[in-house]
Amino acid sequence: MAVDWELIAFFILSAFEIIGSVLVVINKRLVRAAFWLAMTLVTIGVIYLLFLSEFVFLIQILVYAGAVPVLMVFGIMLTRRKIMDEPGQEAPE
Amino acid sequence: MSAPLIPNLFAVCKVLVAAIIGIVQSIIYALSGPIPPLRGLGDWLGLDAVITVVTYLIVVTIVVLWVTVLNLFTVMWVERKLYSRLQDRYGIMISIWSLPFWPFNRVHRPTHKGLGYLQNLADGVKLIQKENITPRNADSAMFHISPVLIASSTLMVFAVLPWSSGFYVANLDLGILFILAAFSLAPLGILIAGYAANNKYTLVGGFRAAAMLLSYSIPMVLAVIALVVFTGTLDPVKIVQQQDRPLVAFGTTLPLPAWYVFGPQFLGFLIFSVAMIAEMERVPFDIPEAEAELVEGWTTEYSGMRFGIVFAFKWLRMLAACALISILYLGGWSGPVFTTLSVGGIPVPIVPEEIWFLLRIYFLAAFFVVLSWSVPRVRIDQILNIGWKRLIPYSLLAILVAAGFRVLG
Amino acid sequence: MPEFWINMGPQHPMTHGLWNMKVKVDGETITDAKPEIGYLHRGYEKIMEVREFQKNVVLTDRLCYVSSITWSHAYCLAVEKMMGIETPERGQWIRVISLELQRIASHLMWLASYGPDLGLLTGLLWCLRERELFLDLIQLMSGARMNQNYPRVGGVRNDLPENFEAMCKRSIEHFLEKLENEYPKIFHESKVFRMRTEGVGTLSAVDAINWGVTGPNLRACGVNVDLRRLDPYETYEEIDFEPQIWQDGGVGDSYARFVVRFNELRESCNIIRQALEKMPKTGPYRVKPPRRAEGEGYAKTEDSRGEALFYVIGDGDDRPYRVKIRSPVFCTMAATPILLRGNKLADVVSILGSVDVCVGEMDK
Repeated sequence: MAVDWELIAFFILSAFEIIGSVLVVINKRLVRAAFWLAMTLVTIGVIYLLFLSEFVFLIQILVYAGAVPVLMVFGIMLTRRKIMDEPGQEAPE
Repeated sequence: MSAPLIPNLFAVCKVLVAAIIGIVQSIIYALSGPIPPLRGLGDWLGLDAVITVVTYLIVVTIVVLWVTVLNLFTVMWVERKLYSRLQDRYGIMISIWSLPFWPFNRVHRPTHKGLGYLQNLADGVKLIQKENITPRNADSAMFHISPVLIASSTLMVFAVLPWSSGFYVANLDLGILFILAAFSLAPLGILIAGYAANNKYTLVGGFRAAAMLLSYSIPMVLAVIALVVFTGTLDPVKIVQQQDRPLVAFGTTLPLPAWYVFGPQFLGFLIFSVAMIAEMERVPFDIPEAEAELVEGWTTEYSGMRFGIVFAFKWLRMLAACALISILYLGGWSGPVFTTLSVGGIPVPIVPEEIWFLLRIYFLAAFFVVLSWSVPRVRIDQILNIGWKRLIPYSLLAILVAAGFRVLG
Repeated sequence: MPEFWINMGPQHPMTHGLWNMKVKVDGETITDAKPEIGYLHRGYEKIMEVREFQKNVVLTDRLCYVSSITWSHAYCLAVEKMMGIETPERGQWIRVISLELQRIASHLMWLASYGPDLGLLTGLLWCLRERELFLDLIQLMSGARMNQNYPRVGGVRNDLPENFEAMCKRSIEHFLEKLENEYPKIFHESKVFRMRTEGVGTLSAVDAINWGVTGPNLRACGVNVDLRRLDPYETYEEIDFEPQIWQDGGVGDSYARFVVRFNELRESCNIIRQALEKMPKTGPYRVKPPRRAEGEGYAKTEDSRGEALFYVIGDGDDRPYRVKIRSPVFCTMAATPILLRGNKLADVVSILGSVDVCVGEMDK
């Protein structure tokens, strides 16, 4: 029986991607959600590689894995009031 | 013209692996007399696919060991010894003579006379013995993932970085782009580390690191684009081949090699070098772990070997950056071959490409070391100003200049 | 990012000593700051009440561990005024030399720690290398490399060693050559150094005077106050020297403070040279003080960090009834919120490094 390895790889990657994107949506901690988004984008990049489009894969890594999650985390951290778990943010006396 | 010592690492390894597998196979066939099922194992070992996979594993191991054991220790030693000399002191001295047992620890070779090459090994052994502390409120999973992410993204660079025209794991058509992509993964790891440790110093340090690396990877990529206008390829081996000839300008042949740094790419070379100093997190731009105000920046909470990894891999990034600068602008491994000896039918060029390449890398590394130990660090807003207001316009100008020269011929 | 407080200290690379700078940041900009001191409080003023006058000198050495002699000297001067005795002339000249040697050593220690604050570790090692010369000279005089216990009530502990003058001159010549040719290369002439120091931590002369900032920090604001000139003690009157003031106008920033201290190094060398020329070659260097004393003594001197003040009351016993110490760094510390507000987080080190904090004398 000939095994279609590409199909299997595609399904595994798709599973990772779906799990990642679901986690992006349901995660309560926004910073973690952004990092799951990074994983999702990397998996999409690997799927591009599976389609033999290396250039798109590398650009995907360069832009979507390297820059976009970082910018999103920046956005989250610069706008939300509380990002750290510990309570003591009040002025010391 | 230059010649490599190892014409094709993969082919060499494949011959060796095939020979070893052949020996193993004959042993298995000999054993398959009493135990017949072993014959199938022997046949499977002889398959070309198996040999190829094993060869790849061997090649990767060779390159990783070459990079992390030989070059990492050497570049760390070069830095620590060189800046010590700059500061009027001896620097590190632990060497083989410092070992505390018989043949080494001799009376007439006191330990303070060593060259210090083993100091970094001793530091590594010390770090391994230390406890790995995870802060109580840290986001444990992300805290542990981030050194792995940083280390693996740095090692990914060396998967495609050629050390000569034959000494590499894989040679991609888009090699340079792959290296830049691997470089650009580090800010994510740094931001994760800064966030996960749940400490104000690491958080601010992670922010700064991510902001700086992000803003400096833009001029870096733009400078490479300006170069690609000239080269027409992203394959490092081809880029070096293009530079391996004398420089012809205005119809005359000059006594200079045709490195891209001589000519319209000079601006791009400067921009790329400055951006690379930032990517290396070296002193004028070492804001991420500005130890004066933010204890150790984003690495504050790491301890033991986890700290060792994130710390040592900075030198690997420096090595990769120096290699990249010399490939793109300084002619890579091109250099004259003076004589070629023949050892058992194998041609051995005296001064092979590997030596020329290592010379360039260590010369650049020494330059960066001297530079970074003689200036203070720049403030974060000044760094971002330099990045966004100077380097990016200049890199756009570099693209314009390169395109202009290309059009005019 | 919300505004939050960052504790810079008590265990932090920025603090040279044990104190805590609480900094409130909005992103990278400092909106508020609170110094928190007292970690090193040893109760000096109280301890000194139970020791005899002469034995207290050992304590005052430890007030500031990089500038011992200047502090012991201020105390001795106050006690001498209370007792009504005067040091012999040669003793006064020896004191001037030891004070200036100590000032150079202290300023070099400051410069050495200012380098790594800005990320310039080379500066640390170069300055400590030259500080060694002056520690050797002080060691020749006092026998110690740290907590040098040299001044005494009524003079100094011992005469200068043989051949001291030649050694002193040789060291100063070597040091001046380094100061002219080597140090500017990594400090003033470095564009990055000036980027980090110019325009940060500005302090107007009015604010400085109102908050009690003294010494080089006040002179960096353009105010010509140097107690060696205004209220000369020992033999400073006979020496021709210029108090170093920031003259280029503007309010005192980190760079001005750096320049003033850097020039004081040169000026101190000048003072030592003149003192070696002018001092009497022989003579007594010490008088025996009375054991018991009654009255009030008050001395203020130009310490390496500002105006040091000792106020000693004796009630006829052999130990002081009350001692009051005015520490210059303690007063400067009160002005740090003004210095810091509005600057960037990375400038905290550039500013607090330039005001030269010594926790030993601050916490007393």
